[in-house]
Amino acid sequence: MNQACTNMQNAIADHVLGVLSEEQTQALRSHLAGCAGCAEYLRQLEDHSKALIACGARVEADMAARCEKAIEALGDVAPVRVPRIVPLLGRLVRTAVAAVLILGAGIVIGRFTTPRAVDAEQLRADVQASVLASLKPAVLESVLAQVDQRLEASHTQMVTDITEQTHRDLRVFANELLSGTQTLVDRRFTEVVQLIEAGRLTDRRQVAKALDQIKTQTGIGLLRLAAWTEETPQALQN
Amino acid sequence: MEQRSDIDLVEAVCQGQRSAYAVLVRRYYSQVFLVCLGVVGNVHDAEDVAQDTMVKGLERIRQLRDPDQFGHWIVKIARNLSINCLRRRAAAERLVGQRRDEPLAESTAADDLHRAVARLPRDLRLPLVMYYFDGRSVKSVAQTLDISTSGVYLKLRMALRELHDILTAQGETP
Repeated sequence: MNQACTNMQNAIADHVLGVLSEEQTQALRSHLAGCAGCAEYLRQLEDHSKALIACGARVEADMAARCEKAIEALGDVAPVRVPRIVPLLGRLVRTAVAAVLILGAGIVIGRFTTPRAVDAEQLRADVQASVLASLKPAVLESVLAQVDQRLEASHTQMVTDITEQTHRDLRVFANELLSGTQTLVDRRFTEVVQLIEAGRLTDRRQVAKALDQIKTQTGIGLLRLAAWTEETPQALQN
Repeated sequence: MEQRSDIDLVEAVCQGQRSAYAVLVRRYYSQVFLVCLGVVGNVHDAEDVAQDTMVKGLERIRQLRDPDQFGHWIVKIARNLSINCLRRRAAAERLVGQRRDEPLAESTAADDLHRAVARLPRDLRLPLVMYYFDGRSVKSVAQTLDISTSGVYLKLRMALRELHDILTAQGETP
């Protein structure tokens, strides 16, 4: 069995319901002429439609009997009497609800439209932040300038102090050095003099000793010479 | 009596004229029944619910603020009672574990159609029943259901296609 074209099924159903325009109907008929599946689908939908109408007719045929049965079933049912208090209450409730709604709406609108109460803490915090923000650069600049000035002054003073202290230290060092050197030189000079003196003394002693030795040797020689002279003949002596 | 307006009839009922309510029942029973049938899906339940609707309507008629709207009011009661009936039926089916519309014996084409209509989704079944069974115009169905005419056409188209699918599936089922 051929299947109906999926894209045509709505159009076929609309055709059965009679809602297609003349142009749409013509287009559908052209398609149906060449499509057995869609033609069969249309035939089936029309059958269902007729069957529904027939079914409705059967239901409708028994409607009068059902209606009379329903009227009989009413029996001794009577309208329930609505207490007078109920509408009165209902009116009161409605009024109350309306009043509450109006009040609520007023409160909501008021809340959104009236300016908010000043929050002292918030205001203080805001002012503090604002003042801080505005003053901070100026204060910072001033403090930095003072720090620079103080640093410069202390730097100059410090340089002067250091220079003077250095001079003093150098002077003391030089004095100490000079005095130490003088002492050392004196000591060395004394030692040298002492050494020279000791050497001269030694030399004198050696000279004296040598002279003594010479003297001794000379005396001995003279004696020997004298002795030799006395023993030698005159001729030989001339 | 049959020519009196809904307003006159409702006021008469409120004053104790039971015959006036019978006129209202005859005037609106068909519409009420078809709404019930459209919602509950079978004639037997629809008869019961329609009958209940008329009883409730009589009991509560003094609560009707605008007597001119009796038709809408009674149809609304019918829909609510039908939905309650569907819920009770669904609960019973869950308890028993089978659907009441299952075929118990060899069925006719009319039975198949009734069963297929009963298996349609409720929002499609109601406009279909009102359109085909009551022979009402799409505009009238739209007014009763409080939807647009294009919405009714859309639901009718979907209902027809769905009905075809159900009937085809039923025909193929051994």
